Amino acid sequence: MGSEMEPLLRAWSYFRRRKFQLCADLCTQMLEKSPYDQEPAPDLPVSQAAWILKARALTEMVYIDEIDVDQEGIAEMILDENAIAQVPRPGTSLKLPGTNQTGGPTQAVRPITQAGRPITGFLRPSTQSGRPGTMEQAIRTPRTAYTARPITSSSGRFVRLGTASMLTSPDGPFINLSRLNLTKYSQKPKLAKALFEYILHHENDVKMALDLASLSTEYSQYKDWWWKVQIGKCYYRLGMYREAEKQFKSALKQQEMVDTFLYLAKVYIILDQPVTALNLFKQGLDKFPGEVTLLCGIARIYEEMNNSSSAAEYYKEVLKQDNTHVEAIACIGSNHFYSDQPEVALRFYRRLLQMGVYNCQLFNNLGLCCFYAQQYDMTLTSFERALSLAENEEEAADVWYNLGHIAVGIGDTNLAHQCFRLALVHNNHHAEAYNNLAVLEMRKGHVEQARALLQTASSLAPHMYEPHFNFATVSDKIGDLQRSYVAAQKSEVAFPEHVDTQHLIKQLKQHFAML
Amino acid sequence: MLLPVFTLKLRHKISPRMVAIGRYDGTHPCLAAATQAGKVFIHNPHTRSQHFSASRVFQSPLESDVSLLNINQTVSCLGSGVLNPELGYDTLLVGTQTSLLAYDIYNNSDLFYREVSDGANAIVLGTLGDIAPPLAIIGGNCALQGFDHEGNDLFWTVTGDNVHSLALCDFDGDGKTELLVGSEDFDIRVFKEDEIVAEMTETEIVTSLCPMYGSRFGYALSNGTVGVYDKTARYWRIKSKNHAMSIHAFDINSDGVCELITGWSNGKVDARSDRTGEVIFKDNFSSAVAGVVEGDYRMDGHVQLICCSVDGEIRGYLPGTAEMKGNLLDTSVEQDLIRELSQKKQNLLLELRNYEESTKAELSSPLNEADGQKGIIPANTRLHTALSVNMGNDLQDAHAELGISTSNDTIIRAVLIFAEGIFVGESHVVHPSIHNLSSSLRVPITPPKDVPVDLHLKTFVGYRSSTQFHVFELTRQLPRFTMYALTSPDAASEPVSYVNFSVAERTQRMVTWLNQNFLLPEDSNVQNSPFHVCFTSLRNGGQLYIKMKQSGEITVNTDDIDLAGDIIQSIASFFAIEDLQVEADFPVYFEELRKVLVKVDEYHSVHQKLSADMADNSNLIRSLLVRAEDARLMRDMKTMKSRYMELYDLNKDLLNGYKIRCNNHTELLGNLKAVNQAIQRAGRLRVGKPKNQVISACRDAIRSNNINTLFRIMRVGTAPS
Repeated sequence: MGSEMEPLLRAWSYFRRRKFQLCADLCTQMLEKSPYDQEPAPDLPVSQAAWILKARALTEMVYIDEIDVDQEGIAEMILDENAIAQVPRPGTSLKLPGTNQTGGPTQAVRPITQAGRPITGFLRPSTQSGRPGTMEQAIRTPRTAYTARPITSSSGRFVRLGTASMLTSPDGPFINLSRLNLTKYSQKPKLAKALFEYILHHENDVKMALDLASLSTEYSQYKDWWWKVQIGKCYYRLGMYREAEKQFKSALKQQEMVDTFLYLAKVYIILDQPVTALNLFKQGLDKFPGEVTLLCGIARIYEEMNNSSSAAEYYKEVLKQDNTHVEAIACIGSNHFYSDQPEVALRFYRRLLQMGVYNCQLFNNLGLCCFYAQQYDMTLTSFERALSLAENEEEAADVWYNLGHIAVGIGDTNLAHQCFRLALVHNNHHAEAYNNLAVLEMRKGHVEQARALLQTASSLAPHMYEPHFNFATVSDKIGDLQRSYVAAQKSEVAFPEHVDTQHLIKQLKQHFAML
Repeated sequence: MLLPVFTLKLRHKISPRMVAIGRYDGTHPCLAAATQAGKVFIHNPHTRSQHFSASRVFQSPLESDVSLLNINQTVSCLGSGVLNPELGYDTLLVGTQTSLLAYDIYNNSDLFYREVSDGANAIVLGTLGDIAPPLAIIGGNCALQGFDHEGNDLFWTVTGDNVHSLALCDFDGDGKTELLVGSEDFDIRVFKEDEIVAEMTETEIVTSLCPMYGSRFGYALSNGTVGVYDKTARYWRIKSKNHAMSIHAFDINSDGVCELITGWSNGKVDARSDRTGEVIFKDNFSSAVAGVVEGDYRMDGHVQLICCSVDGEIRGYLPGTAEMKGNLLDTSVEQDLIRELSQKKQNLLLELRNYEESTKAELSSPLNEADGQKGIIPANTRLHTALSVNMGNDLQDAHAELGISTSNDTIIRAVLIFAEGIFVGESHVVHPSIHNLSSSLRVPITPPKDVPVDLHLKTFVGYRSSTQFHVFELTRQLPRFTMYALTSPDAASEPVSYVNFSVAERTQRMVTWLNQNFLLPEDSNVQNSPFHVCFTSLRNGGQLYIKMKQSGEITVNTDDIDLAGDIIQSIASFFAIEDLQVEADFPVYFEELRKVLVKVDEYHSVHQKLSADMADNSNLIRSLLVRAEDARLMRDMKTMKSRYMELYDLNKDLLNGYKIRCNNHTELLGNLKAVNQAIQRAGRLRVGKPKNQVISACRDAIRSNNINTLFRIMRVGTAPS
């Protein structure tokens, strides 16, 4: 049946059904048939249409949502000083998570990530954003902790996407960029938009895209907000945040769009001005009440500022508007779990299960919730599911680690020992497992072994206070006061409010004073 | 003697004049100052404990008081104050050559960030005239802009040259503040909103202005002059070989009247009485003073005077108490008085001896040649002065001339001329060599600008062999248009550019104006009707035609748009015209302006491209640097070396690109300045309301990029509706 259809309509239909490869192939055929040049002939509307469609299909193939996916590269993190304030007041910056202002669960209850933030219920690129102090640390970190951070954000994901797209067209690229006459295209607004997206997303040539966009916006006499947003995007990718801000603001004045709000907020987050970003989101909410992405943006910022109660409030707001929002459900769930309400958390996780999320992490969480909610019958089955769903070694390691945790909970130290060992077999960078194993060893009286394990754990995860504190306690017990003091101080740096550490330090100081 | 109540040494340099104090959290006054590498530091000694719990890095107490803000551009002005009254605390304003940032330190968030292509050389914060919200007013290249807290520009106007200083002051005592603008063309202009109400010409670039109280304000020039104005009259001024870095009004002796505090480039700080300019307090820093501000820095309810040096030393002074009776210097009043009186006595004794000697000489012999030695000249000796125009010859350019002659055979030994803005260093001494002494003397004068100037002459008159001379003091006023010589009208050379306007005055009055403002030869007789005169400029030989019809219609033909503006302003003030609409056409000038506008467009697009290129390159540099470091950590020295080589090459490219961009930027700035000046000149061709209309209409035309409308406005004076 398809063969009888008019080819352009068929291609269009493919495009609508998101079969981009088929669409692009069909367009190529059509363009081969009709006289095909670098550019579409103006008197052949069909070939022009095919040309646009092909450009759009190729773009869609590699398009990723720029609003969400963004990861700061190592170079930007270390070398750039985009933020105005170097030492901002606590609670006004994303850089210094430090203090917990709102009385959410402390570090002792809710573990923190390397960046010093409590772990979230939903993995986003920005949730891993540790800010290492030196470049050496920054380069080394990705190798040990399975987070492939790009070198720079412009060289990272976008280049990879660009090179991937090169492979798909063996007979050279679809459009030879260096031969384009941008001024001519900028006079044809419809063509220019498709071409711009192709250049930006498919070819990843930001500079050229910027040229085209600025010519086009000039042609439209600065009246088309769309071009302003695009120029802003280009500037953002080039790292010229102030210029990007100007463009987005000017676009917002002409036409208020949710996307523009989100882009502008991204600029403010890069500039480390969360309060401005929050105000902007709230301004956006006045125009678009109940807009989920805006609400979610607010929640994320609160979460990154360690204000988990406000974050949860906004996530709840999100759920009121969109009760299938996975991120919100997961975050509220984890929040409840860590605030000692595993039964409530369980309900949220089951909701996720209902929605078709079916993976190792979810069952992991379910298992833990069941255990703490004293529904022991479900616990082990959940973990079994999780194990069978584990896609890689790290996930399996996490499951085993959690199982070990449960074994400790029911008092079966032998099982716990075995579980932690298995976790380490799967992932020998699992610092938490090392730490727990060390505690078990210590209870058996194997002090030297415990100390070795603790040292490994603290070198793997210097941001965790537990290995430091444990090490300090062990050293204190065997009389190695000097090492104990050093480790206790490290623990205090990682977790200043930890009472036991403070107590230990005080005790040690008294000892030293007596000597 | 007043001692500092506190002294701090911050280990940060402070850029001159970039100091501001503000309550950025609503309660604690903090010092903000620009330092090196495009940074601004905030010194906040009040919330020390809070900082400690927050930061994980241990810092020494003094270090932790200072937090740095990255501006990443050279800071060109700094200000602080309440911009958004709803916030309840102060906003920090940072101006650079290309942007203005209003920053809320407490919340670490921007109020606004605006690109200002004219740059921000000076900033002042406050309410202006009838505009209700507080404005941040910045002065750039020939332009003034005022922003509210959302970054909307509610105020815009142009001024004659690059702005160097701004101040807000109730100049005319109507309860509303006017804006004082000191600019590079030596003028202090007073803006009542966007209307110029007064203009005072100084002798050098006006670097600082500060309001004292009422209509009184202090000023400082780049040649080391500091003084005080009350309205348009100068109270006093002093000149020093050092430069005044910062001036501030502060009541240091608690007498209820502000003194003018000056921080000098040699590290001296002095307080001078506002009435006399007498020093009542001084102190010394080891390096140049960067800024003088006031604030309650110790939070004890007393406002201190805070002086900062460029090395980061900060001293605070409490005003002297009433018991000190304003006696803030080391020396006591009695000593001063005795010294002053003994000086007077000395002078009087000297004078007395002179008189005694001359009476002795008179007694001994009647008038003879020996009189000369005694310095006696005939009692009826008079000094004649005459101003004339010298058309010049091969050796000398055309110039105005001041002729001085005595009425008898006495000679002129020397002439001291004191006039502002004409001579380098303000005064000029002519003393012919001993063989060329004669009873008359000619002094060439070439005023650089068309302004009326008072010449204060001191002439030494005596005989050839005299050792003592009589001093004649007299004052001559140089008319505004001295540098124009009357020539015979010649229709062929009449300039095509003209301005056209009508006044309701008779031609006789016009002749009076002409006599007052031009140097006319004594025998010249200007016809009343038809009134038609022609002048030639002594500066560049340009022609100037002034015609007036019986109906009161005046036509001025000249190619120099500035001159036309000067003439119109002068006529308007002479006839006391409040509003004057003028039709003008300057084809040559307009054509140049058109070219400049086209160039501005070009430079803008080139600028954008260059910035994008540089951003792209800097991305590359970053990734290369990380890769190189990566290679180093893996001990792969070969790769590391090649990476660093690449980095080096790229860096060189980037530097070249930067140079190109710099040139582009300077050109762009120059052209933008030309455009602003054109608007200002078009405004000067009109008087009163039409003037403001022209300026705002021109701005709208430039905003909408409508060049033809712009020229139409400049020509006709109104926007086409």
